[in-house]
Amino acid sequence: MKNMSDVLGSLFLFLLGIGALIGAIRLTVGSPTEPQPGFFPFVAGMILIVFSTIIFLQGWLGRSKEKVAFGEITRPAMLLGVMVVLVAILDRVGYVIGTFIASGLILWILGAKSWRVLILTSLCLSMGTYILFDKLLGVDLPVGFLARFGL
Amino acid sequence: MDFLANLSQGFGVALNPWNLVFAAIGAVIGTAIGVLPGLGPPATVALLLPVTYKMDPASAIIMLAGIFYGAMYGGSTTSILLNIPGEAASVVTCLDGYKMARQGRAGAALGISAMGSFIAGTVSVFGMSLVAPSLASFALKFGPAEYFSLVLLGLMMAVYLSEESIVKGLAMGGLGLLLGTVGIDPVLGATRFTFGISRLLDGFDFVVVAMGLFGISEVLINLEAPEIRDVFKTSFKGLLPTREDWRRCWASVVRGSLLGFFIGVLPGGGAIISSFISYAVEKRVSKHPEQFGKGAIEGVAGPESANNAASTSSFIPLLTLGIPGNATIAMIFVALMIHGIRPGPLMLQEYPKLFWGVIASMYIGNVMLLGLNLPLIGMWVRLLTVPYHYLAVVVVVICVIGAYSVKSAVFDVGAMVVFGVVGYLMRKGGFPPAPLILAMILGPMLERSLQQSLISSGGSLVIFIEKPISAVLLAVAAFLILTPVLRRLWGKQKPGVAVEGSGG
Repeated sequence: MKNMSDVLGSLFLFLLGIGALIGAIRLTVGSPTEPQPGFFPFVAGMILIVFSTIIFLQGWLGRSKEKVAFGEITRPAMLLGVMVVLVAILDRVGYVIGTFIASGLILWILGAKSWRVLILTSLCLSMGTYILFDKLLGVDLPVGFLARFGL
Repeated sequence: MDFLANLSQGFGVALNPWNLVFAAIGAVIGTAIGVLPGLGPPATVALLLPVTYKMDPASAIIMLAGIFYGAMYGGSTTSILLNIPGEAASVVTCLDGYKMARQGRAGAALGISAMGSFIAGTVSVFGMSLVAPSLASFALKFGPAEYFSLVLLGLMMAVYLSEESIVKGLAMGGLGLLLGTVGIDPVLGATRFTFGISRLLDGFDFVVVAMGLFGISEVLINLEAPEIRDVFKTSFKGLLPTREDWRRCWASVVRGSLLGFFIGVLPGGGAIISSFISYAVEKRVSKHPEQFGKGAIEGVAGPESANNAASTSSFIPLLTLGIPGNATIAMIFVALMIHGIRPGPLMLQEYPKLFWGVIASMYIGNVMLLGLNLPLIGMWVRLLTVPYHYLAVVVVVICVIGAYSVKSAVFDVGAMVVFGVVGYLMRKGGFPPAPLILAMILGPMLERSLQQSLISSGGSLVIFIEKPISAVLLAVAAFLILTPVLRRLWGKQKPGVAVEGSGG
């Protein structure tokens, strides 16, 4: 039986390897005596091509064990959705508001039952980490539109 | 005398009140993440990198090191009480530790694992103090060819010891090398694979990649399965092992300590493999191998000692050769680089206070961990009742801070999310993430030494075989990678012979 996860994974790696070779040739590979910027990416691309081909053959011929067994996929997908939204709004709304919304949503997705706990946890987490990292540890976190109010 | 003078200099640094505080913080965080399943030491060290930006380098490394060896102590608690390894190096502890707990001997299992870890950690730190300086001065003689072969061996060991297939590990190594080429070429200064995106000129940041591959992907994997934590309720009275327990397992502790130390020293060696080997050794030398898997205390004492000794000694290749042997040590390598310190043979000469301070802090850290683990066992068990969603949301938020803090750019947060998805798919498909991150970190070093060697030899690859040290290192690397092929051939010739341990 074919191992489709290996077949698909290896195809992706193979294409990446081909891309690396093309990129390396464009950069000029040079020779072992005079290696050019494309030399090392060329080697990395070759490694990818060789081993992805072996993985592909093992998967296609059913010599490797199928590993993929997706469990409940909704929660990971929703978490990713929240993270994508956070990336989109982080600069505009700033760290505190962005993470307050995101952590509230994540807790809700993950099954936090009480609204009070959910809001309180999100607030403590966003404010607490902001004070710890930005104010105490000097990590520069985005302020967003709150900057207009001098915050 | 040098040894004592160096160590006293180290204790001078480690006993600084702030460094004591950071060692304690590291030990507490390490124990906590060791106890909690679903967050491993590499992810935690990656998560805490932003905290260390403004810290003194010695304090930063002391804290991060504490997390690593603290996790080895904590991991056993979850294995013994939940039959779930708190972290990967405690997998084998489940076999006998949980059985002991079910027989009403949880206290003895926890006690022997904490004490065994303490003894092993101390033995390993002592060994490290003796070995590290000689290894560093030996490595000073290395030229580019030797360095190339050493880095290659480190990568091959990481591939060989990764739990998944070796071919997949090699492919991930190739991908890591390719990702490491993004940005400005370290030798000739050309721009590579940036696709016009100025943010990529410095390449992908290790922190961003590590947080995605280890932090976000771990959360995604954990969210797939419903959360079931059935903590085995038992009394923790009598945490000290009995005289009979000690009689049975003192030799296991000694063997585990020595085995763990030597495996940890190997580039690519580490806590996980040492615990498995120790278990196999204990079972083989035992007069009652049939008791293994049914609650044999030697099956807890040996592996727990070994994983602690190995986690400590795996600092040796990092601090003396500049080669991170596993993913957690790779994160500590990144932490050193963030502070402008290049780990390697010169570190001992350039930063003796840091070098010996970190070693001395490990002596102190082990004492702290013994104090933290046994008397506070009830607290660690209560930690297991905290629902996973609180941990997940904290991990996500800290990952966002960590990725953003690298260059104050949302672009990096987006890149981290992408690497999180990549890491998730990799784990699902059985592609190990550790060779990728190690190859990415070691790639520029490998490229530089390869080019320097080839230029000096006029393009001839013979240089790597002409130099004896390089030839030996390459031979070992080739042996490691060819072993599974030879095993397979051997297996085909002799059907019916089971290939032991091929699954890692």
